[in-house]
Amino acid sequence: MKKVLLVDDDVDFCEAVQLLLEAKGYQVVLAHNGKEGLDQARAEKPGLVILDVMMPELNGYDACVVMKADETLKKIPVILLTAVDQSVFKTTYTPHMGLMTEADDYIAKPVEPEELVKRVENFLGKGS
Amino acid sequence: MLIKPSMNILVVESDIGIMQTCRELLLDEGHRIRTAESVEEALGIIQKHPADVDIMLLSLEFPGRGGRALIETLQRARPEILIMGMSADCGEEALEAMRAGAYDCIRKSFTPDRFWMKLNRAIEAFRLRRQLGVLTRQRQASLSTIRHDHNLLAIIQSITDGVVVTDWQTNIVLFNEKAARLFDLTEEKSIGHPVSMCLASDELLSFFMRAIKSDPSLATLMAGEEPIVKVRDKTLRVHLDSVTSETGTVIGAVAVFHDVSKVKAMDKLRSDFLSMVSHELKAPLSSLLMQISVILDGLAGELTEKQRDLLSKAKEKTKGMITLVNDLLDYRRVEEGKSIQKIESLDLGEILDRTAELMRLSAEEKEIKVTCDTSHDLPSFSGDRGGIEAIFVNLISNAIKYTPKGGNVQVSLHKAGKDIRFKVVDDGIGIPKEDVGRIFEKFYRIKTEQTKSISGSGLGLSIVKGIVEAHNGSIHVESEVGKGTTAIVSLPVEE
Repeated sequence: MKKVLLVDDDVDFCEAVQLLLEAKGYQVVLAHNGKEGLDQARAEKPGLVILDVMMPELNGYDACVVMKADETLKKIPVILLTAVDQSVFKTTYTPHMGLMTEADDYIAKPVEPEELVKRVENFLGKGS
Repeated sequence: MLIKPSMNILVVESDIGIMQTCRELLLDEGHRIRTAESVEEALGIIQKHPADVDIMLLSLEFPGRGGRALIETLQRARPEILIMGMSADCGEEALEAMRAGAYDCIRKSFTPDRFWMKLNRAIEAFRLRRQLGVLTRQRQASLSTIRHDHNLLAIIQSITDGVVVTDWQTNIVLFNEKAARLFDLTEEKSIGHPVSMCLASDELLSFFMRAIKSDPSLATLMAGEEPIVKVRDKTLRVHLDSVTSETGTVIGAVAVFHDVSKVKAMDKLRSDFLSMVSHELKAPLSSLLMQISVILDGLAGELTEKQRDLLSKAKEKTKGMITLVNDLLDYRRVEEGKSIQKIESLDLGEILDRTAELMRLSAEEKEIKVTCDTSHDLPSFSGDRGGIEAIFVNLISNAIKYTPKGGNVQVSLHKAGKDIRFKVVDDGIGIPKEDVGRIFEKFYRIKTEQTKSISGSGLGLSIVKGIVEAHNGSIHVESEVGKGTTAIVSLPVEE
């Protein structure tokens, strides 16, 4: 089963997204801060990481930078997720942010479920 | 007969023959004359009769530096005395004397005509200098006396804003307690000293200079929003104007400094607070939207029709709140002048296409036909991507929002002269005449039977206006109730 690691400190959001993605046929692993996220990424070897930006311990930008500098993790695509900065255009991928962190995609919160699923499918293909 | 004013002339010459000729020529014309045969004697006369020497005819042929030394001494001690050198051939020594401050030089082999030609010019120059001196003293006196007017001083001290007054040469003549605290001014250090030494701000100095020159651009500047100047940790709003005498002469400049540091700090606090609240609201709203959506999709079990209906309404309300929070955040950015965050070269056509694509869903829900007409030869535009997107999103979504089911929205993007023109035309409900002028105000929403079911923060258009103006553009809205609305944004393309 295709595996998605969702890293977000908002437990309610995680629960809902987990329901959504599992219904679409993905396996979902959760972590609630950047450090935990990195540990889970190493342990679970997911096919995709969705990384919230504003988190305690280690924030999403920094976690992404660590991942992209790590030989064993750098191939895993990362979608950054944030309620900060982007308020106008929910699907705009901000290039300088991508360059800075080498993230593979960028989603602004709040995001419609269909949109989120579409972005996940872009990287993993349809769930089983 | 023209009465020529007689001058006090001191002739310093050791050659008796030349001395005699000068004396005769000068006395014939009615001038008063004293003579000295050496530099020392000349100095003695000047010290003894300080008011009795206007012009000095000085031989440049005393041994050593005699003549030159006298010129230098007099330049310092009695600069008002006009010195005319005399030498055999007016060569190098004449140039040196003039460099030291002598007005001119006469050859000792002069004819009377030549003598008078040179001397009359010297007399004229002396009189002009004296008149200028009188005027200068008047100008200085007119402002320096204000320090002796105790009632006036008391009034100026009691003003809570900082006040600094300079004379027409930008020397400080007066300041009050508040200004002293703002700029660390003291009587000894500051009074009579140039403002440039005391206020240490090139910007402020230029304001003073412009005030004294009665530069009209300064008046224009001050008539608008007064400039803000940072001085150490203080933020000051400055007003500067020239001080004009009864006769209309500019005799100085006056500056008033209003300390707005606290207001600025409050603005920042308010803005930080708004930002914090917005972000704190956005995170839970995102969860809420996701949770409701997942339930609506049946992922948490089957729903009854009634449950679905109620949850759909809850979802709409949640989305409305998210839009509102986004608007607040955007507005904060515009207010802080952050609407232009990064200037880059943009393909407006491509941005518009992507924006229109995003709006398609909400248009389709209302069965509104959105047509997009973009020129293919648009020049590239330097601007802020986020800002431009916000302009497109806000204007198109407004058109869709205020157009009833089955209506039309036409969007176009063309080059018009030196501008790129973005136009949104709808055949919607329109805006009443009395409201058109107010739609750009913050939180202004038109309350009618037709609009009460449409949610919004009343910030969208003021955000758009802020962004458009930050790009040096303009926005114009025309509307007729029941016919529709046209919004036109003109953005200048830089050469």
